[in-house]
Amino acid sequence: MKKLIFSILSISLVAFYSHVQAQDISQVVAQCAAATDAVYLKDYVVNLDASTPGGAPNQARFALMLSKNTKYRLSVCPAPNSEGEPILQLYDMNVMVGSTFIEATGKDFHMFDFNCQKSAIYHIFISFKEGKAGEAVGVLSFVKRL
Amino acid sequence: MIKKVVYILLAMILIASCKQGTDKSESLDLDDSELVQGDLEVSGEVMQDIIQSVSSPVEMAALVKGLGVQFSGKYLASTDKVDELTTSFQKAFNLGIYGADLGYLNMYNKTANVIDYISAIKTLADGIRVGQFFDFTTLKRLAQQSQNLDSLMYLSVHSYNQMDQYLRDNNRSSLSALMVIGVWVEGLYLATQVAKEAPHPDLAERIGEQKIILEKLILIVKNFSKDKQFAKLLDELNKINDLYKDIEIIIIPGEPEPKEENGMLVFVQNEKSIVKITDEQLKSIISTTEDVRTRLINL
Repeated sequence: MKKLIFSILSISLVAFYSHVQAQDISQVVAQCAAATDAVYLKDYVVNLDASTPGGAPNQARFALMLSKNTKYRLSVCPAPNSEGEPILQLYDMNVMVGSTFIEATGKDFHMFDFNCQKSAIYHIFISFKEGKAGEAVGVLSFVKRL
Repeated sequence: MIKKVVYILLAMILIASCKQGTDKSESLDLDDSELVQGDLEVSGEVMQDIIQSVSSPVEMAALVKGLGVQFSGKYLASTDKVDELTTSFQKAFNLGIYGADLGYLNMYNKTANVIDYISAIKTLADGIRVGQFFDFTTLKRLAQQSQNLDSLMYLSVHSYNQMDQYLRDNNRSSLSALMVIGVWVEGLYLATQVAKEAPHPDLAERIGEQKIILEKLILIVKNFSKDKQFAKLLDELNKINDLYKDIEIIIIPGEPEPKEENGMLVFVQNEKSIVKITDEQLKSIISTTEDVRTRLINL
């Protein structure tokens, strides 16, 4: 009987924790979208483990269709409990066409605009600096027609 | 004592699961087995990529509004027959259709008409057990107050994205695919109807570039085409796809260029795409899309 109670309690706690976590990340999405001051289109939630030492950093990848003559805004926001600092990069095939982190200057941006001139399927990559573990939200918004 | 604790815990779990679920009476008719999965030719990962890449329900509406085109209610699908949509296929597909229409209404702040659409979406979402992601009460309140229109727009699109994500995460990709195809069909219908009445080169180009995504959507539909309704959907989409075969998309290479504008980091893309679409091709796409969309919403 004790085992049964323990199992039920464990299940309840896991369910409760998942529900609270889902609420938290939804709030991050809402805040991140509101901060862009543009029309929210999509969000990308990531929760990554720390990378193995010496290995390539863990990253999440998302496909998205972007249309020419459109200014899009891409932003990234860490969850409150995130250990790592998130980086969002936009790729067209193998070419990086936008990033929240400028490697040459070491400067970080919370968001960037992308003046799209080529209609195609692009990819967003979200990772965490120094391969740390972390949770973050990327948001794609529509700014205007160019 | 122990028994009491067990009963209380069981009751708590039961309450929690009821809250997370939806109105059971509305989901009784659900029969996902009617959507035959069969042997999938496209891997789950590729399918996720394709479904995920389809534009948001508001993007086509944003383009139309950006061109200065006036709102017109005649482009919207009627919500009168929502109760007659009985299969999961119909519910998921029309969820996409109404999702795109809701995006169009929200883009033009037409809050008076929004309630019909959010009611229809709620009915369909409950029917395929994703109603828990659609906050009908808050959306209705925001629409009735005609205030916080940004919140109305955000919540509508976010709810739609959550439903889609949930379906994909729970191995119900066939329904997720139907939702995004519904959005795509309604977006193309809106663009083509506007192009018919107020032609604009940007619209023609946007219609032409749908070639990129249509080819991929067809791959997904083929995956499920052992199902009769999917087979019909494939047949209809192929009618549009045939018209796209001679449309060319040319790429002019160029390097991206970062710069700062009013304190904002901006990446300017210098690589360009040019869609080559003739007036004749456009006319055929406009007319075929109209026919296909009419048949699909009644499928």
